[in-house]
Amino acid sequence: MKVIRPWYAAALILALGVLGLASPAAAQLTQAAPPPHAAHPRATPESIAAGKALFEGTCANCHGIDGSGANGPNIRSAAVNLGPEGLYARIRGGAIGSGMPAFTALEDAQVWVIVDYVGSLGHEGAVLATGDAQKGKEIYDANGCAKCHAIAGQGGNLGPELSKIGVLRGTVKLQAILADPGANLPLDTSLQERAAYPAYLVYRVTTKDGKAIEGMRVNEDSFTMQLRDANGRLHSVQKFEVQKIEPLPGKTFMPSYKGKLSDKQIDDLVAYLSGLGGAQ
Amino acid sequence: MKATKYILCGLAVLALVLGARITSLAQNVTYDDILHSPSHPENWLTYGGNYASQRFSGLTQINKQNVNSLKLKWVYQLRRTGVFESSPIVVDGLMYVTEPPTTVTALDVRTGRPVWRWTADLPRNLLTIGLFPTNRGVAILGDTVYVATIDAHLVALDAKTGVVRWNVEVGDNKKAVAITQAPLAINGKIVVGMGGGEGGLRGYIDCYDAKDGKRLWRLYTIPTTGEPGVETWEGDSYKYGGATTWNTGAYDPELNTLYWGTGNPAPDWNGDARKGDNLYSCSLLAIDADTGKMKWYFQFTPHETHDWDASEPPILFDATINGKKRKIVAQADRNAFYYVLDRATGEFITGQAYAHQTWAKGLDAKGRPIELPNIDPSTQGTLIYPSITGTVNWTSSSYSPLTGLFYVNTREQGAYYYKGHEKMDPYNPNDIGGGGGQKLVNGDAAYTAVRALEATTGNRKWEFKMVGDSWTGTLVTAGGLVFCADSQGNFFALDADNGKPLWNIQLGNALRANPITYAVDGKQYVVGEAGTSVSVFGLP
Repeated sequence: MKVIRPWYAAALILALGVLGLASPAAAQLTQAAPPPHAAHPRATPESIAAGKALFEGTCANCHGIDGSGANGPNIRSAAVNLGPEGLYARIRGGAIGSGMPAFTALEDAQVWVIVDYVGSLGHEGAVLATGDAQKGKEIYDANGCAKCHAIAGQGGNLGPELSKIGVLRGTVKLQAILADPGANLPLDTSLQERAAYPAYLVYRVTTKDGKAIEGMRVNEDSFTMQLRDANGRLHSVQKFEVQKIEPLPGKTFMPSYKGKLSDKQIDDLVAYLSGLGGAQ
Repeated sequence: MKATKYILCGLAVLALVLGARITSLAQNVTYDDILHSPSHPENWLTYGGNYASQRFSGLTQINKQNVNSLKLKWVYQLRRTGVFESSPIVVDGLMYVTEPPTTVTALDVRTGRPVWRWTADLPRNLLTIGLFPTNRGVAILGDTVYVATIDAHLVALDAKTGVVRWNVEVGDNKKAVAITQAPLAINGKIVVGMGGGEGGLRGYIDCYDAKDGKRLWRLYTIPTTGEPGVETWEGDSYKYGGATTWNTGAYDPELNTLYWGTGNPAPDWNGDARKGDNLYSCSLLAIDADTGKMKWYFQFTPHETHDWDASEPPILFDATINGKKRKIVAQADRNAFYYVLDRATGEFITGQAYAHQTWAKGLDAKGRPIELPNIDPSTQGTLIYPSITGTVNWTSSSYSPLTGLFYVNTREQGAYYYKGHEKMDPYNPNDIGGGGGQKLVNGDAAYTAVRALEATTGNRKWEFKMVGDSWTGTLVTAGGLVFCADSQGNFFALDADNGKPLWNIQLGNALRANPITYAVDGKQYVVGEAGTSVSVFGLP
């Protein structure tokens, strides 16, 4: 087992981040100028339903019936990551090198209703927050959430970034996470080459000389695993060179806030988080 | 053939070429060469490695003792982007790879440098309904390379220069016909199937004269009015019922019989308007190579509604079963069952599930699945194992006459199936397979594994589990090795006897092609293709 020095890890994460942000959208996308967003009216239940019908015939074969991925990647967050215009351009122009074709035969209105439907996927079953978002921010600050989570560049990196969490998670899910984070791990859907898998899952690795390390799974393939421990240190594991690798389902480095915060405080905190990313 | 014969063949060839550096590029492959390809393990002459489609190589230089010292020799980066699934052909110092969507590149196997390149002139409004625009390889016969294009042409190219000799249309791409498979060259003939079944068409398989591209025969995979079997389709559903022939089959020269799998019936996820068995979808067809007449068929999944094409390359081998010598064709099907058939008669000998499945109680005495109730797709979603992708898809399995094992890269994943339309809207790119589809069961419980099955029974001898997805076939060698790869970028070798990992390298992108091996200048190499690159490994 090797320990990756923190500054290497930071450089690696930075490099991957830059690549991840810059490469797919800028380099691989065939340019297709979308019409002004203003030309497309706000999504309606009717446009989402029309988009769903088109999506099932056109997109579901690769992206799954609900956008969660099949032969192609999970695209449930595509409207958030690309924006409506970006998603329009992706459908129109395809993504060279990915197997995503350019859908040139679709009418403009058809592309927009598909955008509406994909944009709705992250909001299914959403319930509006009822708490006080300003008070929620105070609770967030007072409980040291920023030690592990970053919002708009400020905060730690042990847990997920929360800058767009209001778009990515509904209020019911946020409440569930605050009450029992271990039972509500987010699914990592970023890898097309594997099924979505629970991110932040804690593993215990025991080396052949009996030393044990616990850390959250950062990545894994058939021969290696990368873990981040509670101190943020990265560990690189060669699976066939250790004694045992065990998942510890239910365990997280995030504490439960059930009982620590009142129901009203949780509602306020959820209201604050729900507003991040411009969702409400 | 006895096991030792393969080893002796491999050693003899290596001894012949050892020290005598071959620099002339003959590029003249006779039918006899392909017939006796086990005697020419330095070349890789057909998609499946030999007519039996065994993906077995008699080369032994890279073996269990030294495989962990394999080193990268060269890398070729494709000039084309897209999904790269090509299985190379290697002949006398040249390697032919196909780049997506349809480019053939000839590489010098000593250096990886291109010698020539040919790209198909494709229509702007290309139709690829329900498939990736890719190409899985070429065939070679005489001094000609044969490639099928994504817009459904068959093209003959000069093997030394890439100059076009002839170009014929196999199907109308405007009517959704598209081809991704490697053709198969037999005695003076080129056999090629077609894809596009999600576009609402009627499948067929063609045979062309290798000299001039004249079509010699066509066999439709769905009967028409007045033909036996049409009654297995309701109304006019046979007209757009799919049953395409989109992957390369196998050939028995003694029986002069082709073995070719057919795809799913259409529409995919709604069988209401096509009640019946839907012959000859999801079947293995035995075809007279001279006439194109069907000798027999075996349908793996009657009235299929889960997209489980039977397009996995079948494997031929001979074995003694219950004291009787049998000519076998075996297939690990996408529907999770492994089948052992008599390839002379189509008789079902035995079969069993080789992966988790929840749609059938088992197989009856004739090999027909005993279906469980309520397995069809529904509006609310029906949970079934395996997923649409199946327990295996287009990737090839392999068979070793030395171990008697069948090596299949298996996917363990279920899906919720959703019902699509009752009727097809033919050639509409916005109505793939009639709509509907799946929601995958995700999480760490979904995995892939290389499984070694006893070829005559399907009993599992060992497995090597992989994390996540894998779209690579297997290669087995007389060196006692099975090569495979995962979609996380690992190319690896396993002990063919027990599945123990012996070597792996991280290539940085998913591998989506069947590995091959060859020898030149007395040295053996193995080929892995990650992302859009060809990587060649040899001993130091």
